Amino acid sequence: MQRFMSSCTDTPLALHLQVQSLRSPAAVLVQDLAIALPAGAVHTIMGASGSGKSSLLAAICGTLAPAMQFQGMLHVMGRRVDSLPTRARRIALLYQDDLLFAHMTVRENLLFAVAAGPQAAREAQVAQALEEVELQGFAHADPATLSGGQRARAALARALLSQAQALMLDEPFAKLDVALRQRMRALVFGAVARRGMAAIVVTHDPADIADAQRVTYLLAP
Amino acid sequence: MVARVKSVSVTEHGSYGNRRVPKQSVLAGQSLFWLRPVFVDIFSSNTSLATTCALLLQQPQFAQALVLSLCSGAAATLLALAASACILSTGLGLRAQREHAAFLPAMLALPHVAFALGCVLLLAPSGWLVRFMFALLRPWADTAPWPLDAPPPWQSTQDPYALGLLLVLVCKEIPFLLWGALAHMQRPDVALAWQAQLRVAATLGHSAPSAWWRVVWPQLLPRMAGPLLAVWAYSLSVVDVAWIIGPTAPPTLAVLAWQWLQDADPSTRALGLAAVFCLLLCTVLVAGLAVMGYRLDRRWLAPARWTRGPQRLTDTFHSRSGKSKPYQSRGQAASECLARSGACGAAIGRGWMRALPAVYLLVGAVLLWSSVAGVWVFPALWPQSWTLQAWQQVLGSVGVLGTTLWLGLASAGMALVLALLCLECLPVRWHSALFGVSYLPLAVPTLLWALGLQRVCIALGWDASAWGLWLAHSASVWPYVLLSLQGPYAALDRRGAHLAASLGRSHWAYLWQVQWPLLRAALAAAFAVGFAVSVAQFLVTLFVGGGRFATVTTEALALSSGGQRPLLAAFALLQWLLPAGLFGLALWLGRKRRFAPPLTARSLA
Repeated sequence: MQRFMSSCTDTPLALHLQVQSLRSPAAVLVQDLAIALPAGAVHTIMGASGSGKSSLLAAICGTLAPAMQFQGMLHVMGRRVDSLPTRARRIALLYQDDLLFAHMTVRENLLFAVAAGPQAAREAQVAQALEEVELQGFAHADPATLSGGQRARAALARALLSQAQALMLDEPFAKLDVALRQRMRALVFGAVARRGMAAIVVTHDPADIADAQRVTYLLAP
Repeated sequence: MVARVKSVSVTEHGSYGNRRVPKQSVLAGQSLFWLRPVFVDIFSSNTSLATTCALLLQQPQFAQALVLSLCSGAAATLLALAASACILSTGLGLRAQREHAAFLPAMLALPHVAFALGCVLLLAPSGWLVRFMFALLRPWADTAPWPLDAPPPWQSTQDPYALGLLLVLVCKEIPFLLWGALAHMQRPDVALAWQAQLRVAATLGHSAPSAWWRVVWPQLLPRMAGPLLAVWAYSLSVVDVAWIIGPTAPPTLAVLAWQWLQDADPSTRALGLAAVFCLLLCTVLVAGLAVMGYRLDRRWLAPARWTRGPQRLTDTFHSRSGKSKPYQSRGQAASECLARSGACGAAIGRGWMRALPAVYLLVGAVLLWSSVAGVWVFPALWPQSWTLQAWQQVLGSVGVLGTTLWLGLASAGMALVLALLCLECLPVRWHSALFGVSYLPLAVPTLLWALGLQRVCIALGWDASAWGLWLAHSASVWPYVLLSLQGPYAALDRRGAHLAASLGRSHWAYLWQVQWPLLRAALAAAFAVGFAVSVAQFLVTLFVGGGRFATVTTEALALSSGGQRPLLAAFALLQWLLPAGLFGLALWLGRKRRFAPPLTARSLA
């Protein structure tokens, strides 16, 4: 297995993306792009609408539309995953919408992400995750009754519970107000650093840049 | 480090196109599968088509029957469309009037045959409505133009102008068109976009009805093409309802064709086939003309009609103050005319919204008390004696009930599985084409469809067998089940599947734990729709079953020409109660989950 090392710290890379090309039926959206992220780092991708930001995230997660074509390589924690199905990549996703399943309680939404095992251990993980995002007491709540910030935190807890090694965020703070955005940013970036994950954020908001050294601007085709 | 990536545009090399399966050819193949039984019967006749058509034209009843069919079919379609549009213009489906939409399943559950029989019991010269009217006129009995102790000498059912048939078709097709429209309008993305557009129109000075007619209706009408085509084809070619309440001398062309097809003489049967082919031709021709007319209207007339300015409140003020209107132009006058028409349409819609459930309730009530009526001499408003004899007879016919139940449940189940397979296995980009194809069986005259299914079952060696009947019912039910699932499936956020996969869950886990539980109400409703459609099948049961299988519908039709009014009413009511029961069960199964209230600091303390 080929292992990639960060040029700065000589630590194994948590995520290494090499894009030869990302094509839509009409154009080449991204060409010759490389992103190397050590554990706990957050990379930001910005660019105009239609420049291929979300398509790039979809290519990383393995959810690219059939009409699109990705050529390149993706390694997560030293494991090549670009030919694996989405569920085997261990890359979690957070969208602008929280996408909490409406027919499940908050607890059931979180349990959906916990791997099979003894029920008591799974429940304990959920309880811990809820505590981490300050949602104790909301385990049995209807997601529809939560506020926007609470829903976003529940969605984050669910994504983190899947034991993913990387986290992709597609404009995750766009629907939150300014105060909530700052709180969510701190929560997300803190969780990424604590868990040693790699994260890529697609955004239009410069305030979402976690590390000014790790930014990619995509130009519209 | 700031990485800059320059993207380069290149021309498409066609590699993506080469990898795609040509959906048009696949769906065309599927269409041919549906249409194949239709044409098999026409072209396998021994008599040449031209000779039969010439003979058909020479039939004395043909021209009048054709005109009756065309007029009643077109009038029913247009009136149902106009009434549906007026009802929708009140904001149904977009604003807070969802309680009215709750009536729809109950109205859809009532089969056409049961409704027609109820209307006969209500409108006939000895029907309840006449008895009620005569009871009101009793104080003026001396001045009445005819004696009030005998049924009046008019023909209110089976009238020569097909007015009774028209009434039944309009009342039955309005809920279907509303159902088709609401399937689009209740999609969250569409509903949100149209609500926002209506708010924008209001801020630009348009009244609510005017904004609806100018903004929503032009977008909704093209999306109702499928349901409209189905209504037109059904109204033109309906047999059972026309037989019960339609004209008799001559009957509509569909009834005439059915009578010819039942003849032992092959040349008369060929005439029936030619008449059915003529109905298909009329369906296609008129639908084609309507589409052309709509396109011409959109190209030349609609832009001027929809883009004239709003009717300002100042104009209304001038009008109320009695002064002449300060119109700047003819456009402004037309705009006000349109605004007033919109308000008038909404008022008519509100009237329909109250009248339609009342009519259905009245029909149901008449069926109920007719089924338990003993001696009931005209002009008594209520029966002189009550009896449950008819119901005892109905419940005693275990075979009829059993056949109806197993056929309905098995067909609806099969159709639901097939529809789910189509929706899950076909790529999403094929779905719109799939829904288009699913309207084909609805757009084919019912007689032709039943004949085609009969021929397919004969070819498979399944004619007059339970397997064949199940297959035929499932094929007839499938389009309705698929169309019931159209809106809910389109409203699904496809990112949910991606999210579940990113959480490490399999597609099956997503389907079982997320997608199907989320669609539980829609799946239960689709199953109930399928059951209702199966229960209502008459021609398919008759032709494919070879007369060996009796259902509540075939029994009701058989009794409709006899004099056993209580038994007829009991079977008709059962035709309604069975699907209504399943719709009730579907509502219960699809009820919204109740969550526990969140724990707050106070409750924790």
